[in-house]
Amino acid sequence: MRQSSELETTFFVTAVAVSARLGHVLKEAKNISLEAMNAKALVARAGENVRTFKPITDYMVELANDTIRLVADIDQEALRISKASLIALRGNEAVNHFNTAKVKAQKALYRDSFEPALQDAEKDLHLFQQNLLRNIRRLNELLEEIENRMLAANVVTSTSRLEAATVSPLYRANFEAIVEKFENAAKTIRAIVRECRKVLNVR
Amino acid sequence: MQTIKLFEGPFHEWIVFGRDSEKIDKIVDTNQYLVKTNREAILLDPGGIELFSSMLAAVVHFLPVEQITHLFASHQDPDIISSLGLWDKTLPTATLHAPWIWEGFLRHYGCNNITYNPIADEGGTLKVDGIELEFIPAHYMHASGNFGVYDPQAKILFSGDVGGGLNSHEDPMFVQDFDQHIKQIKTFHQRWMPSEKAKEAWIKRVRKLDIDLMCPQHGAIYKGKDIDRFLDWLEDLEVGTALRSS
Repeated sequence: MRQSSELETTFFVTAVAVSARLGHVLKEAKNISLEAMNAKALVARAGENVRTFKPITDYMVELANDTIRLVADIDQEALRISKASLIALRGNEAVNHFNTAKVKAQKALYRDSFEPALQDAEKDLHLFQQNLLRNIRRLNELLEEIENRMLAANVVTSTSRLEAATVSPLYRANFEAIVEKFENAAKTIRAIVRECRKVLNVR
Repeated sequence: MQTIKLFEGPFHEWIVFGRDSEKIDKIVDTNQYLVKTNREAILLDPGGIELFSSMLAAVVHFLPVEQITHLFASHQDPDIISSLGLWDKTLPTATLHAPWIWEGFLRHYGCNNITYNPIADEGGTLKVDGIELEFIPAHYMHASGNFGVYDPQAKILFSGDVGGGLNSHEDPMFVQDFDQHIKQIKTFHQRWMPSEKAKEAWIKRVRKLDIDLMCPQHGAIYKGKDIDRFLDWLEDLEVGTALRSS
């Protein structure tokens, strides 16, 4: 477990950085959605010959929509983390100021009079840090959810390849191209999400 | 942090805190004032956030911190009151008296618990445990909403930035050689004070007061005849110079 005192120090930057990276995920998710639409159109045109592709395209659409929704949730969570970490940072600074005053006031007659203020500041800080930890955990969960979906996308890609190999040569190249784009988008998303999780865990 | 008792009357005292040798080099040196009775106290221009721990440590030599029931901010600058968020945690039941125009701005420093008492443009009075203090308008000297504090019993005027200079923490707390002193404060007044009209109005107002000590928020404190010398010098000084040269 990382030290609580260091948690808040740069998290307001980290959260924003994660949010910025996810802009690319959104772009790729929209690409998946577009490819899924293309695949659907192709399935409709090819008819009975490629009916096994229908559930795959449905899944692609679902995956894209879920990813877009998750990115929106992550954006909200990143904003909450950014705010929570700034509050925690200010709380930490307050505690530091009071502790410095305590050292400087060692010989002062009324040095104990600000002890309640210090204790309140410490209590506040603990609460701020707990909130921040909760927000970070939630962000990690959301990122994990996207990553899991992209792992599932791998399975779908393999199935799709097999299916593409069996369809009429007339449509095969088109389906293979769709599968490849889908695979690439999923790979890119996974790489970005992994990077985001790494950034969060390095802290 | 140096502390000097400026006045000791039957019911109240004035103490100045300043020349903090531990402050960060590049931040301006400031004077903070405490007016205390046996039961209550007011901190005048409590200082910047960087100074908070030194100030808190210094005031608890004189009173338990809960005895500070009032804060005063002459205007909105960070060296005056950017410590507000921390005083807000220390003195949650205190009242901050500050120009009404700065309320929305000062709250950016953090003011969740302290009560904000907006001072009207014409000024007003405040009784601290029976001691009456007057908020003297000093608008545009230098901030557009600005007050000094006058204590008629102690004959002390807290003049905010007027009379101040960008001093070093090694400079004396009182003006020793007026002619030398004004060299240090000339540029500050020419540049920071924007209006001849405001300057004249302030001088006229202050000349009516009976003052033994004029205490600026920066620099050295004026005693006796140096106060009149300063007012005469300021009267002749052209202010708002940046406007003329631009």
